[in-house]
Amino acid sequence: MNASALQRGLARVTGSSLGPYQTAVVRIGLSFTWLCYLLREWPNRHELYGPDSPWSWDLARQLIADNHAFTPLMWSRGSLWFETVYALAIVSSALLLLGWRTRTMSVLYMLGVLALQNRSVFIGDGGDNVIHLMALYTVFTRCGQVWSLDARRAARRAGRDAAERGADRDVPGIVLWAACGLALVAAQALGGTGLSWTARGPLPGIGWATALWGLWLVHGLWWLARRHAPGEPRAVLDTLAHLAHNAALLVIMAEVCLIYATAGWYKVQGSRWQDGTALYYPMHLDYFSPWPGLSHLLAGSGVVVLLLSYGTVAVQVAFPFTLLNRRVKNVLLALMMAEHVGIAVLLGLPFFSLAMIVADAVFLPTSFLRRVGAAVRTLVLGARPAARPELPAGPGAVVPGIRREAPPETEKSAP
Amino acid sequence: METDDGHERPGGDAGLEGLSLLSRVVVAAGAAVVAVAAAVHLTMVFLHVAPANTVSKQHAAEIDDYVLPEFEQNWKFFAPNPLQQNIAVQARAELRGPGGRPVVTPWTDLSAQDGAAILHHPLPSHTRQNELRRAWDFYSGTHDAREQPSGLRGRLSEQYIRRLVVARLGAERDGRPVDRVQVRSVTVPVAPPPWSEEKADTRPVHRVLPWWPVATADLPEAKNR
Repeated sequence: MNASALQRGLARVTGSSLGPYQTAVVRIGLSFTWLCYLLREWPNRHELYGPDSPWSWDLARQLIADNHAFTPLMWSRGSLWFETVYALAIVSSALLLLGWRTRTMSVLYMLGVLALQNRSVFIGDGGDNVIHLMALYTVFTRCGQVWSLDARRAARRAGRDAAERGADRDVPGIVLWAACGLALVAAQALGGTGLSWTARGPLPGIGWATALWGLWLVHGLWWLARRHAPGEPRAVLDTLAHLAHNAALLVIMAEVCLIYATAGWYKVQGSRWQDGTALYYPMHLDYFSPWPGLSHLLAGSGVVVLLLSYGTVAVQVAFPFTLLNRRVKNVLLALMMAEHVGIAVLLGLPFFSLAMIVADAVFLPTSFLRRVGAAVRTLVLGARPAARPELPAGPGAVVPGIRREAPPETEKSAP
Repeated sequence: METDDGHERPGGDAGLEGLSLLSRVVVAAGAAVVAVAAAVHLTMVFLHVAPANTVSKQHAAEIDDYVLPEFEQNWKFFAPNPLQQNIAVQARAELRGPGGRPVVTPWTDLSAQDGAAILHHPLPSHTRQNELRRAWDFYSGTHDAREQPSGLRGRLSEQYIRRLVVARLGAERDGRPVDRVQVRSVTVPVAPPPWSEEKADTRPVHRVLPWWPVATADLPEAKNR
């Protein structure tokens, strides 16, 4: 790589937050999945994470003392606290879905996910695992750039003149920020488990108190910079935010590749995937066949089972490499999403499948996402024209493998 | 306070060249930290999900320390081979009978109850699809052939299964309290496909656990307070 390529790359990752539509679709999709799951399990919430759980509060406490997972549900065993946390998890995922105070909601949503999932680790499946990881990564993305109430507010503000803008103090934002700070103070004062500065937190050496206060301070710093130092300090913060966003987006994309790659690599080693009978077996497991008639029908043909088994392995192993070619990548995305729809119905795993489809969506092309967005807008709001222009598609908004409106050289030189 | 909407960039379009030296140093340091953090994170997660290899075996402690508990993950869906057997967890209770004589109930197939709840349900609940199935996985993964628990997790899994069974069977029946419970698993291999020439023994295999006395800690919390 020569110096100018390096410079161009650096300018790109410091100059804009890439993949605005992709990160928005991940935000909307995962908060939607988690919200639907929480609402679906509403009647069972006490058995899953609350006072009726066979994985009792004491059992959870003993395991957490050993593995140091973080859950605010360990702060009190009272059922009122549990109901509050469950309700907050629902509210924060709904608000993240709408993109209201996206940066704050992404943190509260993550806390809701960790609170419930870490309380009862043995109740989850792969879908919960995807939601857990993506909730952590989403905190670092600017996932409200489009398709959010925040974006709508920002567009309206941009339309006003400077004097009006100066008077806009953002009172709800300040109240929310202060309330989060007070809640954190209260949690620490009451000795909330897991809220240490340096002991085991999200990463070794960084406690949850450090992480959460750090995020809170960053939010405060942004407000200060925007109101009182709109020049260079704001530009520096913006650049750092672009960097964090772009790194988190990279991590999200790499995580999806890791999911498929390892799922594929382990399958290649299995004799049932080799002899092409693998998918016959899950179709005959009582826990994974809500529609046995349909499952047995599909598993009745040896050739169909062979093709589906081989196809699954081929697609999973190949996926990361297909990112080098836009067209092949899109075909594979469609195949994988279709397979997950099949899994949702046949194996009775709708929330897992939805989470995987949403994770896949980070690789959808921008042009496609914008068309879907426009269609949804027409469907929901009627044929009204867009309330504001879409985010300008500057040269900075291009990510390899995500969006290639103008055919770049790599496409031609690809083997 | 929603201060970062990623929209307005006052003075930002000038690029890095327009910034003062101090700002450029801050940005450069930030870029380095972010790049190193992302690289370390992806390396650690990769080594965690990849099969045990030369590097991951040498640095197992560091990798676990980094990845666990919040970044733990496992993507071996139906791999290397899919599960090829139906494992049913069944339980029975010993009730305190009239005059102190114990009465033993017939076996109840708890997994069959789960199966009935899942059948024809488009959105199966985690309480039916995962709870008992994963609790049994947890138990069998932390116990040896003589049902001896290995470490803390083994002991926790035992109490988990016991509490689960008591919750499902009920702490009492016809007004008589449950004194002890017994759990067994019945494993039935899925018969090979009709087109296959394989012969498989599909007779059920039983694993019977010892009787466990039911203590107060095994009763549902909401009721025992």
